[in-house]
Amino acid sequence: MAALARPLPRAELRWTGAIPYAVLLVFTLPILLLYGWLLYGSFFPRIEGLRPVGAFTLENWRFLWAPETVEALRFKAPIIPLTINTFVFALSTSLVVLFVSSMAGYALSRIRFPGRRTFLAGVLLLHSFPSVTLLIATFLVLRQLRLYDQLLGVILVKTAFELPFGVWIMKGFFDTVPWDLEMAALVDGAGRLRTWWRVVMPLVKPGLLALGLLSFVSGWNEFLLPFVFMPSGTQQTLSVVLRAILNEGRFVDYGLLTAVGLYYVAPILLLFFFAQDRLMKIYAGGVKG
Amino acid sequence: MRVRLESLTKRFGTVLAVDALDLEIASGEFVALLGPSGCGKTTTLLMVAGIYRPSAGAITFGERRVEHLMPKDRGIGMVFQSYALYPHMTVAENIDFPLDVRGGVSKEDRSRQVREAAELVRVDQLLERRPAQLSGGQQQRVALARALVKRPDILLLDEPLSNLDARLRHEMRGEIKRLQKEVGITAIFVTHDQLEALTMADRVALMRDGVLQAYATPTELYARPANRFVAEFIGTPPMNFLAANLGARNGSVVARAEGIELELAGARLPRADGPREATVGIRPEHLAIVAPAEGDAAGEVYVVEPMGREQVVEIQVGARRLRVIAPPGFSARVGERVGLRFARERLHLFDSASGERLA
Repeated sequence: MAALARPLPRAELRWTGAIPYAVLLVFTLPILLLYGWLLYGSFFPRIEGLRPVGAFTLENWRFLWAPETVEALRFKAPIIPLTINTFVFALSTSLVVLFVSSMAGYALSRIRFPGRRTFLAGVLLLHSFPSVTLLIATFLVLRQLRLYDQLLGVILVKTAFELPFGVWIMKGFFDTVPWDLEMAALVDGAGRLRTWWRVVMPLVKPGLLALGLLSFVSGWNEFLLPFVFMPSGTQQTLSVVLRAILNEGRFVDYGLLTAVGLYYVAPILLLFFFAQDRLMKIYAGGVKG
Repeated sequence: MRVRLESLTKRFGTVLAVDALDLEIASGEFVALLGPSGCGKTTTLLMVAGIYRPSAGAITFGERRVEHLMPKDRGIGMVFQSYALYPHMTVAENIDFPLDVRGGVSKEDRSRQVREAAELVRVDQLLERRPAQLSGGQQQRVALARALVKRPDILLLDEPLSNLDARLRHEMRGEIKRLQKEVGITAIFVTHDQLEALTMADRVALMRDGVLQAYATPTELYARPANRFVAEFIGTPPMNFLAANLGARNGSVVARAEGIELELAGARLPRADGPREATVGIRPEHLAIVAPAEGDAAGEVYVVEPMGREQVVEIQVGARRLRVIAPPGFSARVGERVGLRFARERLHLFDSASGERLA
């Protein structure tokens, strides 16, 4: 029975509507300008202060089509497979997180089993651990499982670190789905599983989308785990390569670093651009209507 | 289909929500579960629906024991207080859901049945809308269509009218009653509103604290309440009660209260003669205001509440205040002395301790 929002009179809309945008513009303009400058600067050989020096060139971007000519990347895997690796890593993490969180969150929200509160508190505690503190223990476990130096192992570890957040977020979303809807589905003839799939899951779709995006981004950005647990480099991800450029030799090639950095961040920027309204729903959440 | 509940009991931890409830509902009958909040009426309905598992007792539909069956295997349709329409589906999809889940029917057949159910409750113009785009009354109708579309044996309604505004409630009251008779379905509905129960149901089961207080037709509940709780709960404004001493005179019982003497025609004393405590009850509509000297009792007007068709007048008699229904033409100043006449054949007598009806 949502009341329809009353449209504001036109003049009022024009003036009061602009104020938030003006405020936001003031705060975001520096960031936008810096990104713009970064992109602009990547097409010049050098930058002095804030001023690009030299003629326009695509030299810094040559890692895309001629990686063998780039000193820092000579002994690394080619950039495209690396990108695919990163993508696989981020996507698998995100999918496994979604799968486990949606089931665990539903159980924690709906079923009163013994140890439920303790479990919830424990998960929260786990979430507050930085992954660095668990590095050695994780290493031992991975080696025991023969998953050390493999993408699959890193995916599992990353998923484990993402799960506490995911489970809590999904539990919160399931909590907002009224019991009545599930009862109605049961009376209408659906079993527990079908009720979950046909009625409950569609209603937490905003949560699934937001959680999926966040864990994808987190996987894409992850540096520590691939760096530590995949030292041999064949299955490395972009963040590790970016660091390799920083470490190469005595002089850092900032032009190259800028170009690779932009290449690395572009998918995330695009993702946020297209999914921002969905992402916001993680805070709004719940069932409308 | 006939429904029988036998010693149906539900405990939540140490709380006894429903206590050994026995109830039989005839095929095609419309029964109201009535009672104040927390009386166990919704718990009872959810046990019939199969959402709650009874702690003890039996539920029989026709000749079939169902208390261990899942809701989907019971052949019921249900309308929830919140309507519980699936927000992500259109009206058509909502109504279709029970058919879709059951399977075994072709798509054309299903859409025909959806249309028929929608026409039955007159929402066939709204099939493409989403629940959020419907008014409360329309949502209610869609919920009814969804409950009826798979032609269940039994229809359950949980507080079906409580989310509607007063005018719509009146309209839907008649609508649901007509629909129930038209479809000829056995129906149970839960309400806390005695007016709803009396106007809609064939029989009313009145509950308190998990215990069945009375199970009778609306007329009988009103005319011969089984105990004091029933008498108090049914009827607006509520019945007046007077603590009385019972005596005998010329073979009939006489009740004395607040200086009033009332001869109860045809009543017998529950035990041997001698004074005895009891409670006399009389409904406001069975008291008449007369000249001060003429009635069975006299008192002062305490307050007058005009209600349009009638007026409720409170009259101070001794230490008690009695409510009386007076015709719209009646006018009196506060403090004015008036007489009261009791309709003898409309007196109720209850045991003071147990509250059971004596006469």
